[in-house]
Amino acid sequence: MHTGIVSPKGVWWVKAPKAERIWVMIAFAWCMVLFAMMPLWHYRGGQNPSGIRHKVDPEAYEARTLEFVEQYRVGEESGIAVVAPPPGSDIYMLGKMWQWIPVLKLQAGVSYTLHLSSSDVNHGFNLFPPNINFQVVPGYDYALRITPNEPGDYKVVCNEFCGIGHHLMLGRIIVEEGPVVAAGGIQ
Amino acid sequence: MNTTVAALAARFRTCPTTGLRVNSTAEHLIRLNAVFAILAMVAGVIAAFGLVLTRWQAVHLLEAVWYYRLLTVHGVSMLIFFIIFFEMAVLYFAGPVLLNSRVPMPKLAWAAFILMAVGAVMVEVQMWTGKADVLFTSYPPLRAHPNYYLGIIFFAVGALVVVGLFFASLVVAKREETYGGSVPLVTYGAIAAAVIAVITLLHGAAIYVPTWTWAMGWTAMPDPQVYRLIWWGLGHSSQQINVAAMVAVWYLLGALTVGAVVLNEKISRAAFFLYVLFISMASAHHLLVDPGFGSGWKIWNTSYAMYLAVLASMIHGFTVPAGIEVGQRLRGFTKGMFEWLRKAPWGDPGFSAMILSIIIFGFIGGITGVTFGTEQINIIAHNTLRVPGHFHATVVAGTALAFMGVTYYVIPLVFQKQVAFWPLARIQPYLFGGGMVLFTMSMTFAGTFGVPRRHYDISFTGAPFDIQYNAAVDLLLGIMGIGGLIAATAVVLYILIAVWSVFFGKPMPQAATAGE
Amino acid sequence: MAFYGVPQGVSKLPRQEHAPGGGEKEHAEHKGLAPRGTFILVGVFLVAFIVYYFVNWKLLSFVWQVG
Repeated sequence: MHTGIVSPKGVWWVKAPKAERIWVMIAFAWCMVLFAMMPLWHYRGGQNPSGIRHKVDPEAYEARTLEFVEQYRVGEESGIAVVAPPPGSDIYMLGKMWQWIPVLKLQAGVSYTLHLSSSDVNHGFNLFPPNINFQVVPGYDYALRITPNEPGDYKVVCNEFCGIGHHLMLGRIIVEEGPVVAAGGIQ
Repeated sequence: MNTTVAALAARFRTCPTTGLRVNSTAEHLIRLNAVFAILAMVAGVIAAFGLVLTRWQAVHLLEAVWYYRLLTVHGVSMLIFFIIFFEMAVLYFAGPVLLNSRVPMPKLAWAAFILMAVGAVMVEVQMWTGKADVLFTSYPPLRAHPNYYLGIIFFAVGALVVVGLFFASLVVAKREETYGGSVPLVTYGAIAAAVIAVITLLHGAAIYVPTWTWAMGWTAMPDPQVYRLIWWGLGHSSQQINVAAMVAVWYLLGALTVGAVVLNEKISRAAFFLYVLFISMASAHHLLVDPGFGSGWKIWNTSYAMYLAVLASMIHGFTVPAGIEVGQRLRGFTKGMFEWLRKAPWGDPGFSAMILSIIIFGFIGGITGVTFGTEQINIIAHNTLRVPGHFHATVVAGTALAFMGVTYYVIPLVFQKQVAFWPLARIQPYLFGGGMVLFTMSMTFAGTFGVPRRHYDISFTGAPFDIQYNAAVDLLLGIMGIGGLIAATAVVLYILIAVWSVFFGKPMPQAATAGE
Repeated sequence: MAFYGVPQGVSKLPRQEHAPGGGEKEHAEHKGLAPRGTFILVGVFLVAFIVYYFVNWKLLSFVWQVG
């Protein structure tokens, strides 16, 4: 028996002790479980980061967001537009130093395709309190099919450093029960 | 033997403890790299005090600019400079010293060290003077002063040269037959670390050079998503250097403290080999909720190819303690299941540091990391405080603590001094480990409540809306504050002990210089 | 003022015989040196891992559907 600081000779074909061999088999089996869980959750689970992903020009994305805002605007809060889009629609959120635009008014139990991007630097989309997190990268449109499960007053924290105003960056998503009165009367 | 080699053979001493023949150039470079590691640690721990007293929301010591500035200083000083200077010392030990051999091309070795030192100083100056408030990851479009990137490039090039010299020393030792059989397991682990270091540093060159040329105004900005991909090829792989080096140090400390045996060379070496093959794929786990990549890519890479590198860690997680157990049983501690552990030298700071490193790295670091490195679970973890909770358990309470433990043996064996403040030295690993447990676990829980990382103020004073975190968060951040203060104090203690011992310490009784 | 000491391993380590004999045949079991204590400890580790891992899947299942 020798320690790890000694130069051993002819050791490569020695059989390992039983305990070690058993442990390696157990550990390997666990690794296979770990690996299988991910594809499994794609089939059976409800939370995956797949999304519909595209490259996008940041200015074009900002323009698209403002267009979305104008189309479904229902009000304003703390200087940020409030928007009530129809269920099932493509909705847009823009991260911009140091704001999340717009405030979204959504309906519980209904799906939307939420587009995320930035017009300047990296931001981090963190939905409070469910603690859902996605990276918001300028030049990339991350469209995620979301279904708010409960009504509530949700906040959007930025959790990727984006400059000195990073800790002032806070957005809002209001989820209401039942049909939301969307702009244009579309239910 | 030609005359050059004969002349060099005169510059060796024989270690009275291990019987190894220690080359003087290797010894000088081990000492210098260790000293610079400590200097970097000083910068890092000053920043640590500021950061922990700010994220402890009730104290909130710094103002925003200095919080983000010191966050950059802390990350770069600890994760790049401290740990890599220390690892250079480990390479000089695991190569030339463990193999009774010499450093090939000593002038080049010295040049590489100077390049690393110059690069480090350049970067520190940029950070402390506010020209690099971009955090350790420096994601474009955020931009720092060009000298920030250039300093890192210098440092990386110097490190790459040292890694190359390490490989060269292996070849020289083999050719000059300064050892027989295979290299020792500790050296094999260092080789794994060195190979991963090459992969790491090549990624670093690939990303920092075009970022530097952009900062100089010569080229276009790297695409932000591509930057994140390549940067994490550097950023994560560098952590795997730290894992391989830490495991090598565990085997080393096991040998030195209790005569721990290698259960089976084949399995331990295969585990290191699995690290080399697959570990760089894991960089993908930083990109699991990024828009630039599909699920197939994310699943394959985050699993390190079906978790084979996690298997490697789980193997070492068994063989290292098992080697300690068998070493102890060979020394007579055979009663029952755990006499070998109960009667182990817990008062030896090299031993206690090693054990705490193993436990904290495994239970807190490893488990949390593999869990939220899962493609979907990452959704509830990315950029929350769970992330620094995890990596302080792996690289700080794991690697850095193991390095602290080995320092207590380096001081008498390499610097040939007795360890100063011995009663404090004996408890230092416990203070550090204990503080780190409080720190990491509280951050992990706070992150589960959604608390963001890299964030100056979760009270969101001045924001357009209100937000109220769970009441438990205040308590958790308080515990984080206390644990962090204890751990940072233990770091200061470690620095004090190491510096005092080296410069003002009592020489070892047999300060041997024989062996010519 | 600065009490000095040396870790116990410095004096206890037997001089290492380099390249110990060709072809090691002994392994831990033959001398009744099986690492049983470690086997239990890694068992505890594995249980902790399994529990933590599946608790996190459960936590994930509570949040909004997203994909």
